[in-house]
Amino acid sequence: MDPFALIWWIVLLPLAGSLVQALFGGAVVRALGPRSGKRLMGALAVLPVAVGFLLGLALLTAHLEAGAATERVVTLAPWIDLAGLKVDFAARVDSLSLLMVLVVTGVGALIHLYATGYMADDRDYTRFFTYMNLFVAFMLVLVTADNLPLLFVGWEGVGLCSYLLIGFWYKDVANAKAANKAFIVNRIGDWGFMLGMFLILACIAGTVSENQTDNRWLDFGYILPKAYTYLADRPELATAIALLLFVGACGKSAQFPLYIWLPDAMAGPTPVSALIHAATMVTAGVYLVSRMHVFYVLSPVASAVVAAVGAFTALFAALVAFGQTDIKKVLAYSTVSQLGFMFVACGAGVYWAGMFHVATHAFFKALLFLGSGAVIYAMAHNQDLRNYGNLRKYLPITCWTMFVGYLAIAGVPPLAGFFSKEAILGGALGSRHAAASLAVWAGWVGLLTAALTAAYMTRLTMLTFFGREERWRRLQPAHGHGHGHASDHGQHYGFGHGNAGAHSHQDPHGFFLTDEEAAALARQEDDGHHHDLDPSHRPKEAPPSMTLPLVALALLSVVGGWGLQHWAKLETFLQYPGLRMLPQGAIQAHPHGIPLLALSIGAAALGIAYGWVVYRRGLPKGEGFDEERWHPFRRWAGRQFGYDDALVQTGVQGGDVLANTLWKGFDAGVIDGIANGLGALACQLGRGLKVIQTGFVRSYALLMLAGGVALLAYMVAVLMRIGGGN
Amino acid sequence: MVEQSTGFGVLSLLVFLPLLGAALVLLTPREAAGLHRVLALATTVATFLVSLWVFAGFQGATYHFQMVEFVPWFPQAGIHYRLGVDGISIWLILLTTLLTALSAWFSVYVRERTKAYMAFLLLLETAMLGVFVSLDMILFYTFFEASLIPMYFLIAIWGGERRAYASLKFFLFTFAGSIFMLIGMVALAKLHEQATGVWSFSLMDIQSEVANGRLWAGALQTQAVVFWAFAVAFLVKCPAFPLHTWLPDAHTEAPTAGSIILAGVLLKMGTYGFLRFCLPLFPDVVANQVPILCALAVIGILYGAAVSAVQPDVKRLVAYSSVAHMGFVLLGIFSLTPTGMVGGAYQQLNHGISTGALFLLIGLIYERRHTRLFADYGGLKARMPLFAALFLIIMLSSVGLPGTNGFVGEFLSLMGAFEASFARRFGLHPAYAVFAAAGVILAAVYLLWMFQKMFYGPITSEENRRLKDLKPWEVALVMVFVVFVFWGGLVPSTFTKPMEASLHAARMMALNPVGQRPDWRNLELEIDPKGNLVRVEPRTREALATPPNYGEVVVPAEKHYPLAKPSAETAKEQPRA
Repeated sequence: MDPFALIWWIVLLPLAGSLVQALFGGAVVRALGPRSGKRLMGALAVLPVAVGFLLGLALLTAHLEAGAATERVVTLAPWIDLAGLKVDFAARVDSLSLLMVLVVTGVGALIHLYATGYMADDRDYTRFFTYMNLFVAFMLVLVTADNLPLLFVGWEGVGLCSYLLIGFWYKDVANAKAANKAFIVNRIGDWGFMLGMFLILACIAGTVSENQTDNRWLDFGYILPKAYTYLADRPELATAIALLLFVGACGKSAQFPLYIWLPDAMAGPTPVSALIHAATMVTAGVYLVSRMHVFYVLSPVASAVVAAVGAFTALFAALVAFGQTDIKKVLAYSTVSQLGFMFVACGAGVYWAGMFHVATHAFFKALLFLGSGAVIYAMAHNQDLRNYGNLRKYLPITCWTMFVGYLAIAGVPPLAGFFSKEAILGGALGSRHAAASLAVWAGWVGLLTAALTAAYMTRLTMLTFFGREERWRRLQPAHGHGHGHASDHGQHYGFGHGNAGAHSHQDPHGFFLTDEEAAALARQEDDGHHHDLDPSHRPKEAPPSMTLPLVALALLSVVGGWGLQHWAKLETFLQYPGLRMLPQGAIQAHPHGIPLLALSIGAAALGIAYGWVVYRRGLPKGEGFDEERWHPFRRWAGRQFGYDDALVQTGVQGGDVLANTLWKGFDAGVIDGIANGLGALACQLGRGLKVIQTGFVRSYALLMLAGGVALLAYMVAVLMRIGGGN
Repeated sequence: MVEQSTGFGVLSLLVFLPLLGAALVLLTPREAAGLHRVLALATTVATFLVSLWVFAGFQGATYHFQMVEFVPWFPQAGIHYRLGVDGISIWLILLTTLLTALSAWFSVYVRERTKAYMAFLLLLETAMLGVFVSLDMILFYTFFEASLIPMYFLIAIWGGERRAYASLKFFLFTFAGSIFMLIGMVALAKLHEQATGVWSFSLMDIQSEVANGRLWAGALQTQAVVFWAFAVAFLVKCPAFPLHTWLPDAHTEAPTAGSIILAGVLLKMGTYGFLRFCLPLFPDVVANQVPILCALAVIGILYGAAVSAVQPDVKRLVAYSSVAHMGFVLLGIFSLTPTGMVGGAYQQLNHGISTGALFLLIGLIYERRHTRLFADYGGLKARMPLFAALFLIIMLSSVGLPGTNGFVGEFLSLMGAFEASFARRFGLHPAYAVFAAAGVILAAVYLLWMFQKMFYGPITSEENRRLKDLKPWEVALVMVFVVFVFWGGLVPSTFTKPMEASLHAARMMALNPVGQRPDWRNLELEIDPKGNLVRVEPRTREALATPPNYGEVVVPAEKHYPLAKPSAETAKEQPRA
C-alpha cells in the first residue's frame, strides 16, 4: 500500500470515533454503568487521535525517506463535479501539513487523555467526546486539504465544534451567547475567506486556456505556481486576495478587529480551551497565511498590514491581560497576544518562524491551560486568581509543570518559547521584505510585548502558586448550593397535583412525562452538581490521567524549541526547493548591530523582575475585589479599553434597531400598507358599484370577474399593439 | 406537420394519481379519520414511487424534454395536453413527491376535518406536479393557479389565529402576479401566430421560433414588456423583495404540512418559472434585466436575514429566512454563469430540504406545546436531546455549513455571481457578490439565535420541563431529511449531474445569438458533458436515452464562461508564455 494513503486514515479515524461516541456512547454508558462505561468511551475517544499521531509519525518517516521537499496529493473521492469546476476530497502530504498533523494529533491526544479525567463527573461525557473527536477530524481536514473549498470545510467545521463546545454547558445562557459570538465573528472572517477564494478562482480561471476547462483549478499545486506568474505584475489583485484571506485569518486566529470572541470562548470546558482555543484551531489563520504565502510575498502592502495587525494585537492583548482576574481569561488574552506574534512573523516574511511558534505555542499554551484546568478542578471550579495563593503546597505536580510552561512562554532560554520568539523577533527586526520598515517596527513592538508577556505571566504564576496567603480562606462561607444552581433546581419539585392532573387528561399522544417520571428525572439531576469554593476547602491534586499529559507537555515545552530548530531543522524542513513555498527569511543574529540574544533575554528578564517585585508577596492591595481601588489604567485595560462594549453596542443593538425598523416600518408599514391600501381601494370601488348596481356585487368572485374582464380588455389592447408592430 | 398523439403515459399517471387518491378520500365517510390518513399516505407514497420510476427512466445527458406526452386538445387555439421532463424539472418533481409524502405522514397529527384536509393535500400535489411537467403554457397556467386553491383552504381552515388574513393575502398576491403571466402567454401565442401562421401555446414550439429568431423579429420592442409580465408572476412566487410580504403571514399561519409544502415546493414554482420561461424565451432582453434581478436578489438576501433576526415567533423567523435563501437561488440563476446556475438550481432543492425540515421540526414541537413564541421555549435540550441534535443538523444545513447540502448550493451561487460580476458582465459590479456573501454572516446570526432561544438556558416553563423526547417514528421522519442533508453535501454530483445539460441549454438559449441557440425541437443539437453545444446524429425523441455520439461543436462552453481576463493582461501574458 502506498504509505501516503495513510493520510486519509488519520483524518477519518477521529471522524469514526466521533460517530461511535454519538451513536453508541449513551447506550454503552447506560449498559456498563457510569464508571466503567465512561472509562471505555474515554479510551475509545483517545484511541483514534493517538493512533492518528502514530500514523502521522509513520507518514513522516516515509516523507523524509522521499525527501522533505516532496509533495503528494492523495485523492479520496470527487466532491463538487461540474463541467467547469471540479473539487476533490484531496489531501496534501508535505512538510507543512505534516507538521500540523503531528501537532494536532500529538497535543490533541494528550488533551483527550486529560479530558477523560477532567470531565469524568459530567453527565454528558460522551457528547463531549463526540464534539472533541469531530473537532480533531475537521482540524485535520483543514490542515491536509489540497484545495481551498475543502480547506473551508475544515475551517468552518472547527468553527462549528468550537461553537458546540463553548456552549457545552447549555443550561447557562451566557455560554450560549459566547458560543454564538464565536460562531458569528468567525463567520465575518469566513466572509473574507470566501471572497478571497472566489477572487483567486476568478483570477486563476482567467489564465486557463479555453480547451482546458477540465483542469482542477483549485488544487494548491495548480493555483499557487499560477499565482506567481499571473499576479507578479498585478500587485493590486495580489493585495486584494491576500487581505481578504487575512480577514478570514483574523476571524479564526482572533486578531484585532475580530479577536472579541476568544476571551468569551473560555466559557467552554478547560480541555476545550486548551485544544481549540489555544493549541490548534486558533492557529489555523497562521497556517492559512503560510499556506497561501505566495500572495503575501507578492504583496508588500498586505504583508505590512499583517505585520501591523499582528503587532498591535500582541501589544493590545498583553495590556488587557493585566486587567484580568480570571485565570483562563489571562491565558486567553495571552493566546491572542501570542497569535499576534505569529502574524508578525508572517508579515515579516519569516513564515517558518510563524509555524515554529505555532508548534511551540501549542506545547506550552496547552500545558498552561491544562494546568489551569487542574487548578480550577482543585479549587471547586472557581477561576478567580484573587482566591488562589500558595497552591504549590497542595498541587506540586501542577505547580511545577505549569512553572515550566510559564518559563517557556516568558521566553527564558533554553525553553521552547525562547527559540521561536527569538526567530520571530530576529526575522522581523532584520526584515528585508518589501514592507521592511513596518515589519521592523512590528519587531520592536514584539520585543516590548515579550517583556509584558513575561510580566503578566509572572503575575499569574505568583498569584496562583506562590505567596504565603491562601486567599480562599478569607471567603465568606457559602450557604448550601452555589447561586445559579439553586434557581434551576428549586423548582423541580414544584409540580402541583392539580397541574399534573391536567396533563394526564390532555396528553393523548404521550408527549409529556408522567408525575413519577418527572420527579425521578429531577432527583437524578439534583445529584450531579458541585459545591462552591469555601474557606474550609482543601485543594487536591488531579488524578494521573490529568497529570500525565501535564508532564508530557512540560517535557515538550523544555525540549521542543531546541529540538525543532536544531535537531529537526524546521527552517529547512519547511523549504520547498521548487516553488520557494516557504521562502527563507533569515534570522539576523545582530539586527541593527545589537545581539538578538541580549535583546530577547533582556526583555524576558525585565518582565519577570517586574512581576517578581510586585507580586512576590501575593495580591497587592490595589488589585483586590474592590475594583474601585484599581489603577484606572488597569480598570480600563480590564474592560478591553472599551472596545468590546462599543462594538456590541453598535453591532448588536444598532442591528436590532435597524432590523426592527425594516420589519415594522418598511415591511409592515410601507409594503403591506400599499397592499392593504389597494385592497381598501377595491372595497371602496366595490361599494361604489354597489350603489349603482344594488345587490349584485357581493362576493370576491364577482369582483375578480370584473377584474378579469378589465385585464382581458388590456390584453386585447396589447395584442393589437403587437399586431400593429408587424 | 401534424403531431401524432402519444396517448397518456407515466407522467400523466404521476400527475393524476394524487387526484385519484383525493377522489377516493372524498368517497369515504366523514368520521373515518384513520382511513383518510392511510389513503393519503398510501397515495403520496405511491406517487413518490412513480416519480422514482420516472427518474429511473430519465436520461441526464440531454437537455431535451423526455417522456413527452402529447394529446390534442383545442387545435384551433393551439392548446394541447403536453407533458415532459428535463433536468430542471426532474428534481423538483422528486422534491414534490417526497415532501408531500412526508407531510402526509406528519399529518397524522391533524384531527379536525381530516377528510377535507387530506383531499386538499392530494389536490395540491396534483397541481404542483402539473406545474413541473406541463409543456403547454395554458396547462401550466391552469396548474399554477390550481395550486392556490387547496393551499388557500389549507391555510384558511387549519391555520393559526390570523388565518383568514394570511390566506386571503396569499391568494391575492400570487393571483395578481400570475394575471400578468397569462397576458404574457397570450402575447407569446399571438406572436407565434404572426411568425408561423398558427397559434400555439406549446413551449417547445415557441422556444423553437425564438431560437431561430423569427418570433421576436417583428416585435422586439415588446420583448421586455412580456419578459416582465412573466417575471412579476415569478417574483411574487419566489418571493423576491419587495413582493414577499405575503410569505411570512402565509408560512406562519399555515398548518405544518402546508408550511412544509409552501416553503419546500410552492416557492420553487417561481424560480422554476424563471428557468423555464424567462431564460429561454427572451434572449434579447434577459442580459439587460440581470442587474435589476440580481439587485432584488441581493436585497432579499440581506433584508430577509435582517428582518428574520428580530422575529419573536419561530415560524415567522424561518419564513423570513426563506426570503433570504430564495435570494441565493435567484442570484445564482441570474448570474447566468454555468456555476451560478447550477448553484441556484441546486439551492432550490436544498432550501426545500432544509426549510421543509425546519418547519417539520417546528411542527413537532408545536403539536406538543401549541405555541410558536420563543418566549415560551428555552432549555429544551435538557429534555429533548435527540430533538435538539436533529434540529441542530437541519439548522446547520440552513446556515450553509460545509459538508451539508446548503453549503454547496450557496457556494456555487455566490461563486457564479462573483465570476460574472468580477468580469463585469451584464453590467454587474463585484459589490453584488460582496454584499450577497455578507448574507452568510446574517444567516448565522438569526439561526443561531433561534437555536439558542429554543434549546439553551434553563427551562422556564413547567410544561417544557415535562416534555418527552421525540418518538421513534418522528425521528425516522426527520432522518429522511438528515440523510439528504449529508448526501447533498458530500456527494452533490448525484443531484447536479442530471441537471447540468438542461441548465447549460437554458443559459445558451438566453445568451447565444440567433443560429447558435439550443432548440427544444431540434434533436440534432445536444449539450455534451463539457457544456459545449454540439451537433449529433438525427434521432427520435424516444431514442434520447442512447448516449449520443457527439459531433461538431457549434458553440463551445468556454465562450460563455465569464472569465476574468483584463485586457492589459492578455497582452502581457503572451510574451511570457
